[in-house]
Amino acid sequence: MVGGGIAGIQASLDLAESGYLVYLVESSPAIGGTMPMLDKTFPTNDCSMCILSPKLVECGRHLNIKTYTCADVVDIQGEAGNFTVTIRQRPRYVHVDKCKGCGECAEACPIDVPSEFDQGIGEHKAIYKPYAQAFPNAYVINKEHCIECGACEEACQAGAIDHSMEEEIIELNVGAVVLCPGFQKFDPSQLTYYGYGKFPNVLTSLEFERILSASGPFQGHLVRPYDNKEPRRIAWIQCVGSRNCRIDHGYCSSVCCMYAIKEAVIAKEHSKEPLETTIFYMDMRTYGKGFEKYYNRAKDELGVRFIRSRVYDITEVGDESKNLRIRYAEEDGTIREEEFDLVVLSVGLEPSPEIAELCQKVGLEVNKYGFAEPAPLTGVGTNKPGIFIAGAFSAPKDIPETVMQASAAAGASASLLAEARNTLVKEKEFPPEKDFSGEPPRIGVFVCHCGVNIGSVVNVPEVVEMARNLPNVVYAGEYLYACSQDSQASMKQIIEEYGLNRVVVASCSPRTHKPLFQETVREAGLNRALFEMANIRDQCSWVHMHEPDRATEKAKDLVKMVVAKAALLEPVSQIVAGVTKAALVIGGGVTGMTSALSLADLGYRVHLVEKEQQLGGVARRIRQGLKGEEVQPFLNDLVNKVLSHSNIEVHLGAEVQTTAGYVGNFVTTLTNGKELQHGVTIIATGGEEYKPAEYLYGESERVFTQLELEEALDKGDPRIENGKTFVLIQCVGSREPERPYCSRVCCGKSVKLALKLKEKNPSASVFVLYRDIRTYGFLEDYYQEARRKGVIFIRYTPENKPRVENENGALKVTVTDHVLGVPVVISADVIGLAAAIVPSSSNRKLSQLFKVPLNEDGFFLEAHMKLRPVDFTSEGIFMAGLAHGPKNLEENIAQAKAAAGRASTVLGKDHLESHGMVAVVQQDKCAACLTCVRLCPYNAPRIRNYAAEIEPLLCQGCGTCAGECPNKAITLQGYKDHMQMSMSKALFEEV
Amino acid sequence: MIIAQQKPIKDIAAMIEDCKKVLLVGCAGCVTVCLSGGEKETEVLASSLRIMRRLQGNPLETVTITATRQCDPEYIEPLENLVKDVDAIISLACGVGVQYLAERFHDKWVVPAQNTMFVGGSRTHGVWEERCGLCGDCILHRTGGICPIIRCSKSILNGPCGGSQYGKCEISKDVDCAWQLIYDRMKALGKLDKLMEIQPPKDWSKSRDGGPRKAIREDVMIG
Repeated sequence: MVGGGIAGIQASLDLAESGYLVYLVESSPAIGGTMPMLDKTFPTNDCSMCILSPKLVECGRHLNIKTYTCADVVDIQGEAGNFTVTIRQRPRYVHVDKCKGCGECAEACPIDVPSEFDQGIGEHKAIYKPYAQAFPNAYVINKEHCIECGACEEACQAGAIDHSMEEEIIELNVGAVVLCPGFQKFDPSQLTYYGYGKFPNVLTSLEFERILSASGPFQGHLVRPYDNKEPRRIAWIQCVGSRNCRIDHGYCSSVCCMYAIKEAVIAKEHSKEPLETTIFYMDMRTYGKGFEKYYNRAKDELGVRFIRSRVYDITEVGDESKNLRIRYAEEDGTIREEEFDLVVLSVGLEPSPEIAELCQKVGLEVNKYGFAEPAPLTGVGTNKPGIFIAGAFSAPKDIPETVMQASAAAGASASLLAEARNTLVKEKEFPPEKDFSGEPPRIGVFVCHCGVNIGSVVNVPEVVEMARNLPNVVYAGEYLYACSQDSQASMKQIIEEYGLNRVVVASCSPRTHKPLFQETVREAGLNRALFEMANIRDQCSWVHMHEPDRATEKAKDLVKMVVAKAALLEPVSQIVAGVTKAALVIGGGVTGMTSALSLADLGYRVHLVEKEQQLGGVARRIRQGLKGEEVQPFLNDLVNKVLSHSNIEVHLGAEVQTTAGYVGNFVTTLTNGKELQHGVTIIATGGEEYKPAEYLYGESERVFTQLELEEALDKGDPRIENGKTFVLIQCVGSREPERPYCSRVCCGKSVKLALKLKEKNPSASVFVLYRDIRTYGFLEDYYQEARRKGVIFIRYTPENKPRVENENGALKVTVTDHVLGVPVVISADVIGLAAAIVPSSSNRKLSQLFKVPLNEDGFFLEAHMKLRPVDFTSEGIFMAGLAHGPKNLEENIAQAKAAAGRASTVLGKDHLESHGMVAVVQQDKCAACLTCVRLCPYNAPRIRNYAAEIEPLLCQGCGTCAGECPNKAITLQGYKDHMQMSMSKALFEEV
Repeated sequence: MIIAQQKPIKDIAAMIEDCKKVLLVGCAGCVTVCLSGGEKETEVLASSLRIMRRLQGNPLETVTITATRQCDPEYIEPLENLVKDVDAIISLACGVGVQYLAERFHDKWVVPAQNTMFVGGSRTHGVWEERCGLCGDCILHRTGGICPIIRCSKSILNGPCGGSQYGKCEISKDVDCAWQLIYDRMKALGKLDKLMEIQPPKDWSKSRDGGPRKAIREDVMIG
């Protein structure tokens, strides 16, 4: 895995969970990529760090992911199945295994360095950790600025610092390579007219992101770095370094429209004073799932102002404020001038130069902009077999698409290396658990100094002394670093020696460290539920660092509480169930077939169910992909592969009748009476083309939908052959009140059709009537080409739509030209309608059968819009293709492979384990009221025999049902009422 | 099921002002399902009352129990030991439960914690709707499964009346006209002719007009 951003992390996790050993190589000192720098993410406004951090922890802890940071891949030799990868690892000057991330070194370091993570707005020391949640949780020295004073070495109690470290060359033998190095942001200082670098109040969008972030240089307080004043008027300028042919950045960066809207919305939230936000744009490209709604809300409800104008010039007003003046032309040509306190440049994405060298060396083809576009209709393939791509390096793209492509690359790698599955992975083994039933609690308390991180504020020996005298405590001790290897060994020894049957560690955050300590107690023969933690770092030494006495008192209180709870802990057994190594794929279009084939190649049995009598779906009607790929040969080849694959059983003319069971063990019956056993389900039901009710469709035989027009073009239909004037109308049935989403593919498709018409007959007049042209990514090139070749684009507004009339058999289109402001009449021979993509009619029934949600538009709703784009919240069920939302063929293929990749993380296991801390129903108290069934986000409870039952393999231990059960019939293991009560009792004992 | 909603806590507290120790009895029947009187609500109410009284400097002791149902004598019998040393009983059941407790423990002060609202169902989680008027003489077979007795504001039997506008009842734009619903459904079922039959005045003696009702099934009675 070359690159440790979200793509590399996701692909690593998928592969490691599917039974493969992964090397994750990251050039910076920590994995995470760009995501940790972002404040919130669109369209859900989730905190970026909060959603990423569990993945960082999981990736960091995974036994079968080996991470190299500060490391660059310098060469890849060999062939698919057997590559030799050469890595150059730069010295970190800190031993990762010894460093505990306590930060004392940075306290001691005298040198300040501008923080790269904060985009140079803030500072950190010459020895630093890029960000708080970083993995590895270890510091690194910036040698360029280090003066080798030795202060850090002196301060480090773990002996982790080593100024003599040297560069290392490492060779790895791997079967497949995924390139996911991410992007670098466009440097706007080369566009001098924007004044970046010259005017202090012109910032890049990533700098603004850091200002908004709570972990940023201003703790999320919205101020200008120039004078720390709160801005009242902020402008965003779109397409900085994108859609700009003069600097060879002709492509659209795809993400900037959405991130600018998000920044405007969040800025308004952060600002204490009323804040005016203005976005200057050319076309609003909110084409992704849920984006159009976000845009509409920003515009109509939140008061973000949108001005369609390309700004060419920014000047300073010339006083102390250093405010900025923007001159822009309104649509009717009126020149206006406005003053802003802050201007944010929505900078584009470009491939990082470092990767170019590697590509050249390896012979990997990149496009004219330096991006490695996937090989046609592969989603993730390259010209080099065995080397796959994912993320923004393949094209500018947002997080969910990056995650999708990463899972797809993982799936493709897994298929390629199917034979080697489970040959290199390790599994942790633990001794049998001791039985303590009937024995009184014997609690051991271990208090951590965390170097001086805790110890310099909290009086650790005092806490230990107090703990020693608590009821049931038979041992209390302290460690400099409880998480270090020698401490772990000592802890195990003490557990043995004192016969401990409950363990409490008072240290840092259970979020990062609980799994580690649980592993330690398991190695000593204790059930992992017999372990508890008190967080005396975040909750004591950090937040009360100036009040050591009170911090110590609070630490004692926390330890008292946790010890009281620990006495009541019970072992929790995990439910283990086998996995049926088969998949059910619903939908026999390109997406379903691609998913089926990926899983079949991995060696799993696949049932492919298609309601029609033949495979192929909508793709049967598509002649060419958006980049000119010939679809029919590809489709026929795919169908043949599916039909001839020994692992795939195709069920034509069949639909799902009933389904039962849960992840790993589903039983589904089809309408043809067949009963299927399967461990996972992939829903790939496709979509349909909207049948327009507008623009004389169905009334005139010269009004076509896009798909019909494409077919007619291909067949040489005389209506097309003899046509001289063509009018293509966009957004037919999309972006309307009844269907508020954007159908995403139609702009690209119309541009391609327009080019095709021009190619056939260069003298033909082709008009495209549009609202915003959404040719994101490299599709922008085709838009440029179409304009160059004389296709005429006329914009219309939803309030003033084109009118199509039939005047004695002649089609007359009237549209108001947006520049002239007067109606233009076009006598059209043929009209093509960019009809919306609508969800499949079977979605609703499947949603009920599988108890998985649909969104308001009727497409399936994923578990998380950012990081789980093909998963449902119900484990073991996945989605791909148009079932998820409008997408083009290439994207559907990537998503199909992603769903297969995700599904293989389930099928790759021989058994599934519940995580233990699950909710349990006391059935005699259950009133079968359905509260738990209705509220569970994971569909774990069912009513059976007049009482609720919670499937432990589905339960994620969130506790919602236990909290809401009106008769207290549900308890969450490890969080029982009497445990919580004992904690408050312990806290208030002396009061 | 019977839908009940808890009274404001200050009203409940006022009813037991003079008490030092009270027993709160939840019910695991209808009121558990409508989320107003199960074990959880019973314990929440008990601790809320304790907190309130402690803040007033007049601490209250509480005992809580949730009966399987309060409308069956067998289920309230086991409460006897708990009842002995309390000053009052707070019932979180519907009005039936309150009365059954009062009858069984006739020397105790028994108070209701709930307002019993209606017989209905749950539309979605947290929303309950009235669906049955308990008239004692069901006519749903004549009205397409939509009850005009309880869903028509006037309970008219030959509707709609002149107050039906655009499918809504004149009393509120949030209330559907039951007769519009009946008409639509009968039309969909192809049974509009049934609506042409004039319904005679209803025999309300089978409802509340006949005084308190009693249902007797001799075939299942013991002895």
